[in-house]
Amino acid sequence: MHTPHKNTLSRLALLALLATTTLFGACKKDNDKDDPTPDDDNEQITTVTYTLTPTSGGTPVSVTYKDLDGDGGTAPTIGTLALTANTTYTGVLTLLDETKNPVVNTSAEIQEEADEHLFVFTPTPANLVQITRTDKDKNNLEVGLQTRLVTTSAASGTLKITLRHQPGVKNGTETPGDTDVEVTFPTTVR
Amino acid sequence: MSFRFPGTPGTGWLGVWLLLLLSIARLSHAQTLVDCALSLSGRVADHESRADLAGATVVVLETQQATQTDAAGNFHLHLCPGLYHVQVTFLGYETETAELRLERAVVRNFQLHPSAVLLRGATVRGQRGLAPTQPTATLSGQALQQTRGQALGEALQKLSGVTAIQTGPSIFKPMIHGLHSNRLTILNNGVRQEGQQWGQEHGPEIDPFIASRLTVVKGAASVRYGSDAIGGVVLVEPKPLRDSAGTGAELNLVGMSNNGLGAASGAVEGNLRQVPALSWRVQGTAKRAGTMRAPGYYLKNSGFQEYDFSAAAGWRRENYGLEAFYSQYNTQIGILPAAHVGSPTDLELAIARTRPLETSGFNYDIARAYQDVRHDVAKLTGFVQTGAAGRLTATVAQQTDFRDEYDKYRPRNDNLAALNKPELSYTNRTTTAELLWEHRRWHNLTGSVGVAGTDQFNRYAAGSRQFIPFYTNQILGAFWLEKWQRGKWLLEAGLRLDRRDLQVKRGDRDTTGAFFVARSRFQYTTPAASLGATFDPTAHLTLNLASGLTRRAPAANERFSDGVHNAQYELGYDLVPGNGALVPETALNIGLTATWHDNPRLNGEITVYQTRITDFIYQVPILPPVITIRGALISWVYQQTDATLRGVDLAGTYQLAPRWLLGAKGSIVRARDTRQDQWQIFMPADRAEASLRYEVATQPAARLRQSYVQLGGYAVARQTRVPDHYAERDYKRPPAGYALLGLEAGTTLHWGRQPLEVSLAGANLLNQRYRDYLNRYRYFADEMGRNVTLRVRVPLELRRRAASGR
Repeated sequence: MHTPHKNTLSRLALLALLATTTLFGACKKDNDKDDPTPDDDNEQITTVTYTLTPTSGGTPVSVTYKDLDGDGGTAPTIGTLALTANTTYTGVLTLLDETKNPVVNTSAEIQEEADEHLFVFTPTPANLVQITRTDKDKNNLEVGLQTRLVTTSAASGTLKITLRHQPGVKNGTETPGDTDVEVTFPTTVR
Repeated sequence: MSFRFPGTPGTGWLGVWLLLLLSIARLSHAQTLVDCALSLSGRVADHESRADLAGATVVVLETQQATQTDAAGNFHLHLCPGLYHVQVTFLGYETETAELRLERAVVRNFQLHPSAVLLRGATVRGQRGLAPTQPTATLSGQALQQTRGQALGEALQKLSGVTAIQTGPSIFKPMIHGLHSNRLTILNNGVRQEGQQWGQEHGPEIDPFIASRLTVVKGAASVRYGSDAIGGVVLVEPKPLRDSAGTGAELNLVGMSNNGLGAASGAVEGNLRQVPALSWRVQGTAKRAGTMRAPGYYLKNSGFQEYDFSAAAGWRRENYGLEAFYSQYNTQIGILPAAHVGSPTDLELAIARTRPLETSGFNYDIARAYQDVRHDVAKLTGFVQTGAAGRLTATVAQQTDFRDEYDKYRPRNDNLAALNKPELSYTNRTTTAELLWEHRRWHNLTGSVGVAGTDQFNRYAAGSRQFIPFYTNQILGAFWLEKWQRGKWLLEAGLRLDRRDLQVKRGDRDTTGAFFVARSRFQYTTPAASLGATFDPTAHLTLNLASGLTRRAPAANERFSDGVHNAQYELGYDLVPGNGALVPETALNIGLTATWHDNPRLNGEITVYQTRITDFIYQVPILPPVITIRGALISWVYQQTDATLRGVDLAGTYQLAPRWLLGAKGSIVRARDTRQDQWQIFMPADRAEASLRYEVATQPAARLRQSYVQLGGYAVARQTRVPDHYAERDYKRPPAGYALLGLEAGTTLHWGRQPLEVSLAGANLLNQRYRDYLNRYRYFADEMGRNVTLRVRVPLELRRRAASGR
């Protein structure tokens, strides 16, 4: 006899439970008030500068790729490299992460792990300039933070600088590994 | 040639209504007696088998004259001239009434429909009580079995009008009538799937093995499911929990030749004899695939793996029930390295290549770049009969989506690299709740009222790159749907109101590189309304007209995507300088479907639709590509325009001979950007499919039963309806059309008590080289070559063994 009564009670209880859980679920407030933080652990390279000093003395010339707000957003500023014909330069590459405070000198990190990195210089046309890497890692393989650049006749084109990251697989060629940096500078030789 | 509708939507409406009205408006009037010896005779037969029906009752309703058919099914009556309604009844058959005008002797034959057909009709009506009146397409049983091992979005392509946005061999986002992503709602076991939908290369995080039925609602179902259902709804429905005592199990095995895919999925379910109210099920899937082979080469790093499990328990009594469900989905998917290139010139070269520069041998390794995704769903649902008035159902669910994306590049710093942390690490947690009250039939009206809420937050881990900002999104919606059903008519109307509150916190850097947090908040109240009618003029024809109005507020990804993932750059609309903020889009949807069903030979369905979306939000390539420190990347940006999408879906089968079934499907979408008066970008090309199936005749007790062989062809045309000056709009022109040949054979092996279903299916048998316009890999690589799939299904009934083991 009391079965219907019990049924009604349990049904009512369930009804109440369903309603409250639903309302509770629907009204649950998001209580974390956290804000996004600068992604400091995330490596970035914002700035690449190639500084060239004539071996015969004179004013160094430099060219810079700069993208302070990272990928996308404002487009990077890319300078033009203006060189003098029939000149030999000593070249130094500087890479920075200027989003960090203090600014991270990435080229110093690359120097530390030189046996995993290789810079590749690709002038177009191929005879625009002649570039030789002058620094070596502990395995006697070239790195490319230090270079010698020789110009001959006047011409114009581009210079592509690629940083290949080759942990454990560096063999002196460009092929292994991944590209960490690839910037292309318009270049004129006068 | 451009596609046009038969008349404008307005006259289309009118025409249909007129047609429908005419068919019911012919009412009769009484006649005076003049000469009452006119003969009415005829024969009554079974509509399906054409067999004579002896003993059927024939009644003239006006005069109440009655007779019975003889042994040959013949009947004979004498009547005065006039208009009569003659009713023929026979047990087990649907009663048929015909209107006859007698001016001279008339011979009128009747073909009755077995009431099994009527019952089937009734079942369909029963479902209509729950499902919207929109056209739906369903994959279940053997058709679903034929897709086992495929991704959800891939399997759904079996249905006409459904295509997919694809990224490589394993990521498919379903697309219905040209609409996808934020415009499709996927309901996974009744829970609205909420993952990180921001990437077009983020497939739905669902194990298709969980489903015993996949249903696609083609057309807006926004009143029931919310404003994200403008394009349609995909319902992933598991089998209901077992209601009879005992324990059962099912094992599915799949192997593929092309990429060495192996999948195993099993489920065990039970219902306790001692506690009949309690049912349970556990289910799990393991899937692993190696390098995919395009004709002539392997697609490097295209392997993937997936491990899923779910458990459900239910307590069900007549008047109330409670069910708890938990599932977890885990996958790792390799990303093709061909997209990682350097300068814009290198990108051009990579796109121009007929095959990627880097190919590989076959292996199961997943190297960087890859995605690592986990999706958890916990759900609690219950119902209570609210007296005789109706039924109250409540559902609460929480789902958490963890998405880690690993770049191809390792960190330079060896200590960081050793940690092997993902470059993108996102967590998205969504709580959804719904309270639904369905009232019983009252004056031909059935309906439901409901409230639904969503609370969602999205975060990325410290150290992860920002791509989608931090956001919280709260939605509260209320809806009311009523159906009026009488005789051959079903009318439906619904209303919904959604309140959406999107709060965004975005980290950004100014031009000097200084970090700041930009906050924004978007609040919208968006309405949705629907109006539909279904009419069954005969037992074999159903006409459906559905219309809907939906307003959809833009999602966070459409506004604020920013950055690189999987070697592609994406940008949200609001971040483009000078753009301002996205405004909600408004969709007006009309669809007409005619279904020709339960016929002995020809059955089919045709759907004609138009969706007009003002302020349509879509993604286009950025040309020239965005340059980053690592070079140029395929880049995308969101835009807003007005679009009109029209199309036709066609599906039909024809029984050529008793064991030969011919099938055909086709779909056409025409989408115009009306603001710029040109074709809309990235719409599916015209496609058609044909199949011929032969069911082998077998003895009821034979060892091999239900054997079949099916030959199929699938053809897709080149998409020629693209925006003007296409070379400036996309990195590559749409690829050429293609045709693929498939062959499948299957049987059920009865070996002892347990049946064993085995099938072997070959796809792209001619090893055709092709690319699809809607695959993002098409810039770099071909689609999968020849693939042979072996599928085995073993349903097990463990009850008897358990009993005898005791």
